[in-house]
Parts: sequence; structure tokens; C-alpha cells
Amino acid sequence: MATSQLLNDIISVLLLLAPSAALLSLVVAGVSLRREGNMTFAIGGGFTKWMFWAVVFLTLQPLLSWFASFGVAVPLPSGSPGGIATGWLANFQTDVTQFVTNFVVQRMVPTLAAFFVLRAVLDAASGQHPLPSILAAMFLLGTETTYSLLQSYNTGTRYATVDVLESLWNHLVGTIMPITAVLTLVGAILNFATRKPFLRLVAVSLALLTVSAIWKLVNSMM
Amino acid sequence: MSFDHGILHLADWVGNVIMPTLAAAFIIIAILQFSKAQEFAHSMYGALACLMVSGLTRAFETFASQAAWNNPDLYWLSIVTLINWVANVILPVYAASQVAAMALRLGVFSLVHPTSGWLRHFVTAALCLMVSGLLRLAEFFVAQGVGGLR
Repeated sequence: MATSQLLNDIISVLLLLAPSAALLSLVVAGVSLRREGNMTFAIGGGFTKWMFWAVVFLTLQPLLSWFASFGVAVPLPSGSPGGIATGWLANFQTDVTQFVTNFVVQRMVPTLAAFFVLRAVLDAASGQHPLPSILAAMFLLGTETTYSLLQSYNTGTRYATVDVLESLWNHLVGTIMPITAVLTLVGAILNFATRKPFLRLVAVSLALLTVSAIWKLVNSMM
Repeated sequence: MSFDHGILHLADWVGNVIMPTLAAAFIIIAILQFSKAQEFAHSMYGALACLMVSGLTRAFETFASQAAWNNPDLYWLSIVTLINWVANVILPVYAASQVAAMALRLGVFSLVHPTSGWLRHFVTAALCLMVSGLLRLAEFFVAQGVGGLR
């Protein structure tokens, strides 16, 4: 039995809204980065969960191609806006995409980031560390760039989801962690000058510069 | 605007703008602690370290690049290199400062007595120059005890 045009259009709309869902997931990930409330983000916590969903939404179509290998035919619609025959569905898709891009990402997210900067000051006033709020603000301000980065990692194959996650790990370890090593070193110096324990931070700073090697070490132990 | 650039510029700003400013604050704290006969070395060395964030970062990068990035021993090598650097570069300089402190003690108090402070400075200077030897001595003792009590 042939799939009805309305059903095909609904599938098209949902697939075309996946990038917008990925953008929203990145925004929620940025908020979670602060909500977890520590100097570091928790692997397995809210931030990583929403990053994972952002990757899944971004690689939804390649991921669905797995069903073909299971023997279940998934005839995906063409996916282009012009391919949505039902007028109101096409309008709905365009409106939601524009809302996410123009309202949420371009206007609301910078305002949210500004509030996080204010929160950093208030955090410092209440005796907490301001850095988590600053990092959350930076992540929110970089939402669109992070989205472009994820897109550039999308190989389009059925392994696209894990390809993006692997590339993200490489980016985190090769680009972000060496920079955080400097911040850790600064923390070690401040701890030393104020007579707090600092050796742990020295060891962490070296570890952040050698995460790949530690990964290989763990592999060689298996 | 990207997260990478944001965090990179944050590290630059903290290391090159804030830390040199804090160095002045730590020197002030060191002077105040000195005036009250309190321990001031942490503030003094902390101020020096605040001015050397870039240099220390380069040093740490050197420690962490003693082997290929995928060498499982890289973290261990980086720690060994750090310890070697402290023992063979920093401690000899510290030994020299201890010899100077010893000379000052002798000159100021002109009292050659084992209980006066000069001897502690002298022994510290000697120990600073003997870290490797002390480690080998400890290893020798442990090796001798491998067979257990006889």
C-alpha cells in the first residue's frame, strides 16, 4: 500500500526540523553546563546528554539508514522544503525553523549568555567560583559555531553519529583540554600562593596535556 | 564567536593580564607577612609564578611532549621530566640560596655552633644537591631488604 502524501509530508517536516532540534539541544546543553554547577562538566550528566542528542538530531537521516540493513525498508522523502506538498505543513516547518534561528539562537541565546555573565559576578559575591557561569556563557555564545563544527564532522554515512562523537572527542582532547591545562596551571599557582593544596592541579595540568596518551595507556592495559 | 576562541582568549587574559596584576598583590601580602614575622615565602614565590605563567606553560608543554602523543608512557614520562626538572634545575638554585642564607647567618651572628641556623641551611643545600644520591641510597636499602630478615 502506498504511503499517503500527508504522512510523507509529516515525515519530511520532522526530518527538516531535526537541525533545529539539534540547535535547541545545544542551547539546553549550555544551560546544563552551568546547572551541573561545578568547575568541570560531568561525563554522563546533563551537558553530555544534550550534546549527544544534538549529534543524534544532526545525523538522524544517516542513522535511519541502519533500518535498511536490518531489512526494514525506510523510504525517506526527498526532504527539501519544496518536497512538502501540503501547504500548511510546509509553512509550519519554515516558521519553526525561522523561530529557532531568528528568535532563539540569534536573540534569546545572547541575552541568556549575558545573564550568565551577571550570574558569574553574583557567584563570586556569594563565595562561589565565577568560572562555570563564564564558561556556560561562552558556550551559549558559540552555539552556532559549535553547530557548524558538528556539521563539518558529519560524514553522512550510517556511522555518522559515532564519527561525529569521535571527532568531538578529538576536538575536546586536542584543542580544548590543552587550553584548560593553562587555566589549571593558573589555579595551581593561586593555590600555592594562598597555601592551599596545589600538587593535584599540577598533576591534572599534565594529564590534560596528555589525555590521548592516557587513553592509549588504558587501552594497553586491557 | 566560538567556544574555542572564547576559552583561549580567557586563558590569555587570565595569564597575561590578571596574573601579573595579582603578582603585585602577592608582593604586598609578602611584605605585610614579613613585617609581622609571618611565613612569607609562599606569597613571594607565588608572585614570581604569577609573572611566569607563559613560561611555566611552555615548560609543561615540553614535559608533556617527551614522546609521541599516542605513547602510553607519555603521562609517566611527563611526570618524570617534571621531577627531574625540579631536582636537577630548581633545587641546585635553591641550594645556592641556602648557602647564601648560611653565609648571612654566620656573618650576622658570627656564632659557629651546631644549634644555630647556619647548619640547617648548610644541610639543606647539601641535600638539595644530593636528591639523586638519596634516591639511589633508598633504593639500595630496599634492594638489600628484598630477601627479608635473616
